This record gives sequence, C-alpha cells and structure tokens, in this order.
Amino acid sequence: MQILKKTELAALKKAQELGAEKVIELLDKKGLVGRGGASFPTGKKWRFAFDAKADEKFVICNADEGEPGTFKDKFILENNPETLIEGILIASYVVGAKRAFIYLRGEYDYLKGNIEKVIKSVIKRSRLDVSVEIVVGAGSYVCGEETAIIKSIEGFRGQPYYKPPFPPVSGLWGKPTIINNVETLTCAAQAVLFDDWNSSLRLFSVSGCVDNPGVFELPVSVRLSKVLELAKPRGKLKALFFGCFGGCMPYVDMEMTPENVCGQDCVHGSCSVIVVDDSRSIVDLCYVIAKFFAYESCGKCTPCREGTVRVLFLMKKLKDMKATKEDLALLEELAHHIKNTSLCGLGQSATNHIITGLKHFREDFEERIL
Amino acid sequence: MKIKLDGKDIECDATKTLLHICKEHGINIPTLCYQESLKPDARCRVCLVELNGKLVTSCSTLPSDGCSVITSSEKVIKARKMNVELIMAGHVKACNIDNVSHNISGMLEEIGLQGIRFDPIRDYEQDLGSAVVREDNKCINCGRCVRTCAEIQEIYAIDFASRGFNEHVAPYCEHNLADVACIKCGQCILHCPVGAIHEREHLFEVLRALKDKRKKVIVQAAPSIRATLGEEFGMPAGSLVTGKMVSALRKVGFFKVFDVDLGADITIMEEASEFLRRVGKGGPFPMITTCCPGWILMMEHFYPEMIKKDYMSTCKSPHEMLGMLTKTYFAQKEGLNPDDIVVVSIMPCTAKKFESTRPELESGVDFVLTTRECAKLIRHFKIDFANLPDEDFDSALGVSTGAGVVFGASGGVMEAALRTAYEFGTGNSVTKLEFDQIRGLDGIKTGSIIINGKEVRFAVASGGANIRKLLKDKDKYHFIEFMACPGGCIGGGGQPPHSTHETLVKRAQAIYHADAGKGLRKSHENPVVKKIYAEFLDKPGSEKAEKLLHTYYQKKSEF
Repeated sequence: MQILKKTELAALKKAQELGAEKVIELLDKKGLVGRGGASFPTGKKWRFAFDAKADEKFVICNADEGEPGTFKDKFILENNPETLIEGILIASYVVGAKRAFIYLRGEYDYLKGNIEKVIKSVIKRSRLDVSVEIVVGAGSYVCGEETAIIKSIEGFRGQPYYKPPFPPVSGLWGKPTIINNVETLTCAAQAVLFDDWNSSLRLFSVSGCVDNPGVFELPVSVRLSKVLELAKPRGKLKALFFGCFGGCMPYVDMEMTPENVCGQDCVHGSCSVIVVDDSRSIVDLCYVIAKFFAYESCGKCTPCREGTVRVLFLMKKLKDMKATKEDLALLEELAHHIKNTSLCGLGQSATNHIITGLKHFREDFEERIL
Repeated sequence: MKIKLDGKDIECDATKTLLHICKEHGINIPTLCYQESLKPDARCRVCLVELNGKLVTSCSTLPSDGCSVITSSEKVIKARKMNVELIMAGHVKACNIDNVSHNISGMLEEIGLQGIRFDPIRDYEQDLGSAVVREDNKCINCGRCVRTCAEIQEIYAIDFASRGFNEHVAPYCEHNLADVACIKCGQCILHCPVGAIHEREHLFEVLRALKDKRKKVIVQAAPSIRATLGEEFGMPAGSLVTGKMVSALRKVGFFKVFDVDLGADITIMEEASEFLRRVGKGGPFPMITTCCPGWILMMEHFYPEMIKKDYMSTCKSPHEMLGMLTKTYFAQKEGLNPDDIVVVSIMPCTAKKFESTRPELESGVDFVLTTRECAKLIRHFKIDFANLPDEDFDSALGVSTGAGVVFGASGGVMEAALRTAYEFGTGNSVTKLEFDQIRGLDGIKTGSIIINGKEVRFAVASGGANIRKLLKDKDKYHFIEFMACPGGCIGGGGQPPHSTHETLVKRAQAIYHADAGKGLRKSHENPVVKKIYAEFLDKPGSEKAEKLLHTYYQKKSEF
C-alpha cells in the first residue's frame, strides 16, 4: 500500500531543500486534496496560511475520526505514524509554525502513548524546533469540524463557529492555522518525496454486511463492484451508506468518483462504505443514524439542536408504525430545512440519510405509515 | 463593492454584514440572537437571507463582489418560520403572560408564526439566586446572556452546558448562580429576549410590609431611577420624572419617600475625606470607589489582593448609608423603634439585592426593588403615572445636591468626589463644576486635577471588560471609579431592558440636566448633610461614622 510507505525524514529534508513555496507548488502539481471529506486542495490551504502575516502560526492534525464506518485514520495512526509526524513537520516548516497539535479522537486514547514516542523520536532526529502536542478529544463527533477543533484546543466548548474568517487566516487563538486530516498530512509527506506518488489512490473503509471488512487502498475511480469483491458482501445487496453523513443509495455498479456519488445525491466524503443487505429496512437504519445525530449535535444552532431531535421523534414514530402521512411530510420538510439552514457541516449533513432514503427507498418509509 | 439586493443593483461597503447593508437600504430582517453590542453568533438562524441561492445568516455574512442577495423569497420566509417554530416550541408553554421583558413579539409578528407542530419537552428546575433567577424552561438558547457575560462583562459566570437538545445555559459546574463567581450585575437580564433570566422579585414582601399596620415602610430612590422610570410607562428615554415618582410612591402607601442622592452626598463626604487622608499620608493609591456592589463582588472574586493592599475605600454604598441613617438618626429623631422601620430601596441594580444580604454590612436596607419592579408596583396600584402631579421628597432625608444626582451616570461619583475633595483640600471653591473628561459613555475615561500643587490623576471605567482593562494600569492613578454596568447605573441590570446606546446617552443627559438644574451642586453644601454631621455623626470619618457608614470585604472563590 502506498500509504504505508515510510519517508524516513527524507521528505522533510527534501522539503527544506525545496523551500516553502516550491513545496506548495509541488503539492498543487501533484493534486493532493483534503482526505477528510471536503476535498479542498491542500496546496491552496497551505498557501493561505503561508501568505498570512502573523507572529505565530499553528498546524493542527485532525485525528478526530468520529464518522461511523470510517477507520482509515486509525489505520494510519497504528501503522505509519512516523510518516504522519513528518507530514506535520513539513506543514509546520512550510507555513512557519512552531507549534503543532494532533487532535486525537477520545476513543483513540490508547494510541496516544505510541504516537508520543514516535513524535519524540522523529522530532529528535529532525532537529526541527517544532513541538507537536497531542490533545485528546472528549468524545464529541462535532469536534472533527475544524472550527470546533480550534475552540476545543483553546479550552472552550467544542462548538463550530461561522466562517469566514477561515482558519488559515485566523484560526487557533486568532492566528493563521492549517488543519489537515491524518491521511492528508501523511500523503503530503509521501507526495513531496516520491516521484511516483499517485494522487488518485484513496483509503476506503468498508464495513457492514460483509465478510471481509477493513481498509482498502484503491483508485478513487474504482468500480463499486471491485470494492465489494474485496469486501465479500453477505446476502443480497440492498443499499450502501456513505458513513452516517453521506446518505445512502441502492447498489449500482459505478465508478466511485465524487461526481458519480453526488449524482446519487450522496456525499463521497472520506470514502467510507457501509454495506446493507436486503434483510434490513432503511427506516430502521435511518432511525439509528437520526439517534446518532440528535446525540452528537453540539446544540449551537437552532435547526440542528431542535431539528435533529424532532427528526428522531418522527423516525421513532415511523419505526413503531405510529406515524401518519402528515408526519412523513413534516419529516421530509424538516430534513431539508436542517440541511439548508444549519451552521456547520454536521447539521448540513445530519439529514442526508433521510433525504436520500426517501429518494431511493420511499417504499420502505411508506409501508410503515399508519 | 456592487451587489444585487432583491433584484436592485446597489453599492455597498464590503466590510459590513448583509444585515447592516439591508438595514441601510430600508429592508428589515427579523433577528433574535443578534445584538448590536455583541459579536454575531449566527446561532438562532432567524435572520436568514438567500445569498446566490444559498441560505445564509445575514448577521454573520459579508457580501462578495457581484453577489445576489434575496431577502424575502418564499424559501427564506419558510426557513425563518420553521426555525422560529422550532425555537418557540419549548418556550411557549413555560412562558406566562406577565413577562415584562419579552421583546420578541415584534419578531414573531413579522415571521407570522401560526401554531406550533412540536410539543414542549424540556423540563428544568428554576435556579433561584439571591439576586438573579434563571428559568431554563423559558430559555430559547439564543446565547445573548452568555455572550453578554463573556464579552461585555468578562465574568464568564454562565455558559452553555451539555450538548445537542440538552444544551442549556448553566453557571460553572451546573451550580446555582448564587454559588458561583457571578457579580449579580444583571446585564444578562437586560439582554434576555424572553424573560428566562430575571431579578429575584421582592414585590410580594414589600406589599406584605405595606399592609402591616405596625410597620413604617420607608422608600428611598436611587439617583438614576428618576431618569429611567418614565420609560416603563411609555415615556421617551431621558424623561426626568422625579416629582411623579415621589408622588406615585406616596400613593402606593410608603410612610416616607427619601432620596438616595442624600446618601450619595454623605458618601462623598466620607469618601472625599478618606481620599484626602490618603493624600496626606501618601497612599495607598489608587483609592477605588465602592458604590457599586457588582464591582465589589468582582473584586472579591477575582482581585482579592486589593483588600490586603487597602486600595478599596471602606465606604458603604449610598443607599446602605441612607438606610442605616434612617434606622438610627431618623428613628431617634422621630422617636421610632428601628425594628418597626422597613427600608425599601428602589435601585437600578440587581447586585444591590445581594448587597442588602451581605453579612459584612449589617444592612440598613430590608428590600431592594429594581426600576422594573418599582414600575410593576405602581401598575399594581393602578396609578396613572403619566398624569401625576410633581411632589417633593420628604425633607427629613430628602434634600440633595447635583453631586448626588450625577452618581447615576458613569463618572458621576468621581465628579462629585472631586468637587468636594478639591474644596476640602484647598479651601478654595471649584471654578468649573463640570468635569468633562469623565462624562460621556466611553468605557474608560481619565483625567487629572491639581490639589495643593499635587497632581491627582483619576480614572473611571464602567462595564466588566473595561474594568479589567483599566486594572492593568491602575498604578498610574490615585483615584479610580468602577461601575460594573456599561454607562454606570443608568445602564444597570435593574433598568428597563433592551436599551440601545442612544437610550443610555439620553438617560445620561437627563442626569446631568438634573444636576445643572439644582441650586446646590456640591455635597458638602447640602444643609441636611451639615445637620446630620452636626447633630449625629460629628464629622466625616468619626468613630460613629466609621461604625455606621463603613464596611469591610472578604475574599471569595474565583469559581
């Protein structure tokens, strides 16, 4: 796997030889985009922070991988932390940060000791004057949102705030800050060093009704049938969920490019695929996901705070076969409302599963109506 | 920058938010969590507009070149309505009609909310503080109180706790407000749109005392009340209603109506003398005023080292001084039993409610009513306030000077003290009574004066954040006045809510107007003050004055 290739500090050395501007150009050329879900060009992000004038800048590695069905960052943290740390050091070197943070998911606390060891040894060998601190989250899903990470590290409530200003201009403690996903930073180190680095290879987390769940490295344009071939689905395929926030679609053998996934009204995100067989009802799954979002909403903005819980109540009614036609209409209205008016990415995707569920599997919903 | 606003091409300032731009072009957008004095939070999602087809909150969004903004499409109106419906679902059932500080009815009307499809589900206990009461069942999570406490006051007594649907406003570690480092300033009350946070009312207790035939219930009104009470009865901001207020209070049935301005004059006598003693001894400086109980609490919680360093004046606040004199001097003179006297203060302040329960004080005041409660009391007796004749305070403790009146505005205590200190110190009279450097609504004001060849530097700050700022270079000054509420008592937590900057300006003008209209404008020229010292207290700082009019402070927890 490309992602497991170690750079052994050669990437950092090369970055230092090239200089900050050249590194950014190189990343632009190699086409590295964010792997956390938003697919924002990494070079562009770094350039914003590089251009910003400030006495202090920060780098944050987003290791708050809370999305159900996504476990690729854990895979990297377990198997190639050295290259990740090197990526962080390269980012720090490029933007001129003296302090970097790894915002580690609360549930990954058991990895902390090992990562700390790696940080120590990598920094010692790199002889770079940068500190990398691990901040362990407290188990909040929304803290994977970049502005919420900033608030959390600052010691405030982990709640998102509105953008702009974007973090590369004004982030942690009001200073320019770049926030990149674990996979992105690891890829950054590899992209700098290896001439044959392939930007189209992505990590797919596949789980659900499959015999061989796990992380697979595949080209982003891989056909879905190829992914499933590796994962070995059980039973008759019914649907695919792209994590919790990506929505669901019926099985269609298509190329897994973001455009194609969007065509199904779903969000490609961090390439997580949850396979569902035909023994399940989409309503039951949507209920579980609604519960998840009602629980994980931070409570800041009205549609998400009040809406997700109302969605949950309506889903419960539907699940228990007590809902009326009007309830279903209200559910649909609420789902679109939450998506359109929420403050951050969590709220904006908190009802994707219902919107896409109603689009592709309306009969599952309607058969539950009173 | 050129943008399209509701189909019209307009020129706009790129640094202004869409909400501002719309307002400038006469388009009214309903808001809820937005407040001019606070940073936008974009949490309520009521002020939605369409920006290039996408719904955004206008309070937090800046225009981009050539963008198209639509403020009243069906999509916008539907989304706003749904958000308000979601917000109000919990509130409506908990809210009773008798809710004076409800200021969202205009917004609700504009939104056109008809019926709510969701059931209320929140169930919280009331947080019954000694001065401020929180009712989370009414709360709509707009966060104005939290932001006020953090941004304007920098006290951080309340914040949100829990998450998602369980998110609610809570003091530190979910303790009661009474048990945490809250300065009881009540600024949160002024900003709450739904009355979910309000003063601890003492109306019932006062009414009971009024009915008790054995009790002599004496009322005393603070300097700033006369400039704000009118607003509660629909008069424009800045209406001076001293005479009507006195006659209304008499109609309510109070035995005597006294003027806290007199207490302010006595405070000045004590404070100016204390200051001159310090000038004579060469310190300790700065001396800091102690009229504001909010500031006292702030000091005890966050700056307790000041107690040891003796920066704080030992003077009680004016109404406490007057309350004490009512129960001693006045009772003695009239042959009344002090136990039969009930002193009620009408204050612009919620912290005064707490102050009157401080064990350090042996308070002479039994109950404190805010301006809002006072208006409620007057309404309770169905008194036609606007058409009342003007009456004077009872003369026994009701003669005051302009120096007492200016206590109501930020900088007033300093100004009054300087008028007297200058004359006490030099023996000459002050040529210009108005100290313009320390007037106005700036958060921090400074100035200096020469007394006996020595330069005395003074500073004034109002609002918690400004106090913190000024405290960083407090060593530059000899005399500092701190008021916890922005603008001083005219912006107090017990005043009519939802005041704008203009309201405060008008209230301050009324205060200074009242000062200018007084024949007597220096505290030491007040004949009643002279009489009290001659007959009772001897002289400022005497043993008796120390016992009755001075107090001490105690360190409190930072959390």
